[in-house]
Amino acid sequence: MNTPMNADALAVQALGLGRSFGTNRAVDGVHLTIPTGMIFGLLGPDGAGKSTLIRMLATVLAPETGDAAIFGNSVRRSPDRVIPRIGYMSQHFSMYPDLSIAENLDFFATLRGVGRAERRRRAGELMSAMGLVEFASRRARYLSGGMKQKLMLAATLMHQPDLLLLDEPTTGVDPVSRREFWRILAGLHRAGKTVLVATPYMDEAERCGYLAFLSSGRIIREGSPADIKAVVPGMLFELTTPQPRAVLAAVTGIPGVRSAHLYGDVVRVLWIGDDRGAAELTSRLLAAGVHVSAVRPARVDMEAAFAFLTESERLIEVAGL
Amino acid sequence: MRLLGYESRPTMKSALIRVGAVAGKEFKHLLRDPRVLATVLILPVLQLLLFAYAISFDVKNVPTVVLDQDNTPASRQYVQTYRSSEFFDVLGSADDLAQVDQLFDQNRVRIAVIVPSGFARSLDSGEKAQVAVLSDGSEPTSAQLAQAYATALNASYDQQVVVEWADRQGLDLAQVGAIEPRLRTWYNPEGKSSTFLIPGLMVVIIMIVTVQQTAVTLVREREQGTGEQMTVSPLRRGELMVGKLLPWTLLAFADMLAIALVGIWVFGLPLRGGIGFLAASSVVFVFAALGLGLIISAVAPSLETANISGLLIAFLPAFLLSGFAFPLDSIPTPLQWLSYAFPGRYMVTISRGVFLKGAGFAELWPELAALAGYALVVLLASSVLYRRRST
Repeated sequence: MNTPMNADALAVQALGLGRSFGTNRAVDGVHLTIPTGMIFGLLGPDGAGKSTLIRMLATVLAPETGDAAIFGNSVRRSPDRVIPRIGYMSQHFSMYPDLSIAENLDFFATLRGVGRAERRRRAGELMSAMGLVEFASRRARYLSGGMKQKLMLAATLMHQPDLLLLDEPTTGVDPVSRREFWRILAGLHRAGKTVLVATPYMDEAERCGYLAFLSSGRIIREGSPADIKAVVPGMLFELTTPQPRAVLAAVTGIPGVRSAHLYGDVVRVLWIGDDRGAAELTSRLLAAGVHVSAVRPARVDMEAAFAFLTESERLIEVAGL
Repeated sequence: MRLLGYESRPTMKSALIRVGAVAGKEFKHLLRDPRVLATVLILPVLQLLLFAYAISFDVKNVPTVVLDQDNTPASRQYVQTYRSSEFFDVLGSADDLAQVDQLFDQNRVRIAVIVPSGFARSLDSGEKAQVAVLSDGSEPTSAQLAQAYATALNASYDQQVVVEWADRQGLDLAQVGAIEPRLRTWYNPEGKSSTFLIPGLMVVIIMIVTVQQTAVTLVREREQGTGEQMTVSPLRRGELMVGKLLPWTLLAFADMLAIALVGIWVFGLPLRGGIGFLAASSVVFVFAALGLGLIISAVAPSLETANISGLLIAFLPAFLLSGFAFPLDSIPTPLQWLSYAFPGRYMVTISRGVFLKGAGFAELWPELAALAGYALVVLLASSVLYRRRST
């Protein structure tokens, strides 16, 4: 697997990577190729295996089957060569709560072998880039959710890794902080870093150059955000109604409806029938006695694609039983 | 290019830098947690004072009654030896055996000295005089010591007196001969139990403090997720272990010093042996105890489990299986074997040997060697177990 020829062209190349926990096959023979310099998004419902996959790539978890090369170095056989080139940010806050921002940054960078002067310079740069300077001496315990995530990202960047493995880095963070976080990621992308990011947020998925959709430990779909959205067949309608749950129940039996789910307080219906979907839905629901104030065609977005993929995967599983 | 740069083998210097970073961070954790700080700095001295005052095997002023049926100058002189002893507190004289019986039942006396009539006559005729010392066997420590003291008293009373031991509560008469008061007081002539206890107590306290504290340290890294962050760094597990041990070694050492000083100044503990040997043995012992804590920490699934196992493994064996309070020869054989599995017993022997007997390397090297081997095994085991658990 050590192929020096294209060592730096491919940031990640996973072949048949697998890992179980007890009887649960968390990651089931994943093949994954990430070219250098890309922001690669990992999507999938909870428990799909995103964290397990990232942890194996980060050398934190040993794979049971297969192997992965990070810039040409096997995570199994030469983790020592992988580690200096990666930064791993776990899903949960993993800094010392009783150490300050500056101390946490300094500690992990020292472990990474960054010299003292360099540590000070980089910590200063990162803290000012992330708006953390005035909180430098605040203990991590007392930071807000957004600041905690930025601290973790800064700690991940202190040794200037070429590949960032970020496991849901913005979960539980307010939208403003999320946007700021992604602004920083965009900067890193421009600087040539490769980013693998798992995210439950579809707006974040739209920002990725390439996506892989993980379900039950396998990648079931991958491509650009446009490619992923293109897998959704038919038309999408948004039904505005004062009684969304009743509408959801009534709509599922109608021929031509592929799937339906609640999206905020509107009901989203995926229509795979003929062109008169809107009229058909309106009359059918009127007949069923539920009130709908508007039926509007909607643009297929990541959210719809995610719902569609999760749904169809579940149907396959049910059928498989 | 950076790839090539990293291929050079990790140097000693960078390893030391990492160990230093871990040790420095541990110190910060310590200094910022007032509870831990109190546990480590104040508790040991408190424990020492409490234990040393509360656990006392000293027996003094045992309430005693005298029944002098002879009532001669000789018998009165004999009884006087009891009155002038610090051990017996002669409350008065009884008129007959029935009254002695009553006093025992009322728990007013624990010892009765009975001088039968004919005591003086027997002495005069050169026969062996009979004296009965009754003791309340329901309190064995006092009873055994009373018998021992009475024997000693009789010996010092320069007449041929044979004491007829009678035991109210079924103390085995054969045991009486087995009591050798001199053994107990050889290195501790005043028979002060604090002198006997403190060298052992020191070991027990260090055991409790160190095992308990290190038991949670790796578990906490795992629960905080910081352990995972360290995995994604060149830090070796051995370096992590050493870095974590350094601050604790220093603290445990400070504790030992404090306890020793309090022992010497407050309790008049003698230090007869070499301080260098004691210090060296202490370091090895502290490593062994810390290693034991790390093993718990490496395998415990949660902080609670680590805390409780730390307490169980540190406290009970240190108390019961170290020989600190109960002589190891007198505990059941399986427990004697078990006692070898804990570092306490070796260090209690060393500590007592150095403090009380003035012993050094020549006498105590087997214990030191055992401790060193022990420390090595537990530290390696903790490192291996931690790796197993984390991947």
